[in-house]
Amino acid sequence: MKRLVLISLLLACVASAASAFAAGFVALDRKSARTLTDGTTHTAPTIVALWSTDCPHCKKNLGLFADMVKADPRLRLITVAVEPLSAEVATSLDRIRVPGVRYVYGTDAPEAIAFALDPKWRGELPRTLFFDGHGNRVAISGGVDSASTRKSLGLADRR
Amino acid sequence: MTSLHKLGAIAALTIAASVLPHSASAADAKDKAAMAGMTGMAKKARVELASSAAFTRDGQLLAVAKQGDHLLLYRSGDQGANWSPPVIVNARPEAISGDGENRPKIAFAQDGGVLISWTKPLGKPNTGEVRLARSDDGGASFATPITVHRDRQEITHRFETMIVGGDGRIYLAWIDKRDLESAKATKKPYRGAAIYAAVSDDGGRSFKPETRVADHSCECCRIAAAVDTDGAPLIFWRHVFEPNERDHALAKLRPDGTPASVERATFDRWKVDGCPHHGPALAVAPDGVRHAVWFNQKNGEGRAFYGRLASGGVDGQRFVGGEQAARADIAIAGHRIGILWKEFDGERTQLHAEISEDGGASFKRLALGAANGASDHPRAIAFGKDLFAYWRTELEGMRVFRLP
Repeated sequence: MKRLVLISLLLACVASAASAFAAGFVALDRKSARTLTDGTTHTAPTIVALWSTDCPHCKKNLGLFADMVKADPRLRLITVAVEPLSAEVATSLDRIRVPGVRYVYGTDAPEAIAFALDPKWRGELPRTLFFDGHGNRVAISGGVDSASTRKSLGLADRR
Repeated sequence: MTSLHKLGAIAALTIAASVLPHSASAADAKDKAAMAGMTGMAKKARVELASSAAFTRDGQLLAVAKQGDHLLLYRSGDQGANWSPPVIVNARPEAISGDGENRPKIAFAQDGGVLISWTKPLGKPNTGEVRLARSDDGGASFATPITVHRDRQEITHRFETMIVGGDGRIYLAWIDKRDLESAKATKKPYRGAAIYAAVSDDGGRSFKPETRVADHSCECCRIAAAVDTDGAPLIFWRHVFEPNERDHALAKLRPDGTPASVERATFDRWKVDGCPHHGPALAVAPDGVRHAVWFNQKNGEGRAFYGRLASGGVDGQRFVGGEQAARADIAIAGHRIGILWKEFDGERTQLHAEISEDGGASFKRLALGAANGASDHPRAIAFGKDLFAYWRTELEGMRVFRLP
């Protein structure tokens, strides 16, 4: 009995921690994915970072974007985990303190959501969509650095 | 496929769901709690449809798929029209990888033993063990699964492939990060992961210590395997060529699993620090020609390709399908070559096939079906002179199409 109580307590702790992490996750379907990646909806320089829990290169990009957004309040970061919500999705973002709105895949067909996000994207990760805030969008697959990120966002290089 | 056939497949899956014990793990509880905090639309668990199918010597079709912490084996005596209630492969529940690039596999030992392999994820992210279970009674029951490698670090041993050589040996090859981990420990750079292989000469009951096939594989694409005309196994995988070109490599293995040769097999020069999550497929024709399909970005465009692998180059390389073509697979039955792929049309995922009767010089195209929901990668399978497509989809179940 003692053991049962202990296990219940442990699970409750895990559960409450996970709930706190998960607050604010939004599930995507094809319609909301299309809206999210429509250049005209972004009026500030915005990074939409597609990532997954099993992609080490994604986490490097997310760390970079998190730092850049903290350093420059003009920038917005939106993350899209290209998988359904799990505790690992939440903890991965929290571990590297990634700010911004957090999306995950919802119940719609994954291929439909992917196509709506970016018809040129073929599933490779990381995939990042950069919006300059004036309707332009640049998509880059793979790891990026701060110079290429600033350039893709239409920001002048800081010397 | 008639709706009756679909019902058969769905019924089989429903039976599977009802007979299995469900044990809620701590991970389940964490995920449920995570979902409780989600706003917006309906919540969804990860759909793990990954499945494989293969014909026994006497024409029974076996399919293996994941359900929770168990692998289930289904049997069809009528080429997938109806499926038996499932047999549980692993009596003891354990974590199982079941996404498209990391599916369970089926092979047959020369003595008729049914072999099922899979990756068991471990606690840390992206870690796993390669597992194998053997049945001595044609798939009615399975022995306790074994881990095929001696290295038991909690690191990547994942994305296994399994093939039975012409000599009856069972070869498993997988993506292994032990060399990356050692390099990290000594702060040395190491590109990608490695391919390791282990060999069994007792029909999959035990495995010899594993050997390294190649350094610098890509990290999370499925590995393809085929038997060469001399009976030796060929392993075909996405590699990371210097500095970061994610093309493919081909190795021929010796009976001890060491590579007799390792060569670059594709030359698309996709430079990316990223994960394509999109592995190749390979089939060898009776004349020894190596027919392959793969995905790469070439000239800035990600496409599925077909080509014949030749020493130092590719013959007849061309696109497979349209801009959205993905997850191509290939099989050869007699002199017929069958290619499958799926392609999202803006609304639904379409399954397509091409068949060649002239060694790959020309192909005839067919539309096989469509899926409204999520779907596994299609699997091309051969039996005698016939080619089949096996496709597990979220809404329709396990579907089999005989290619005309």
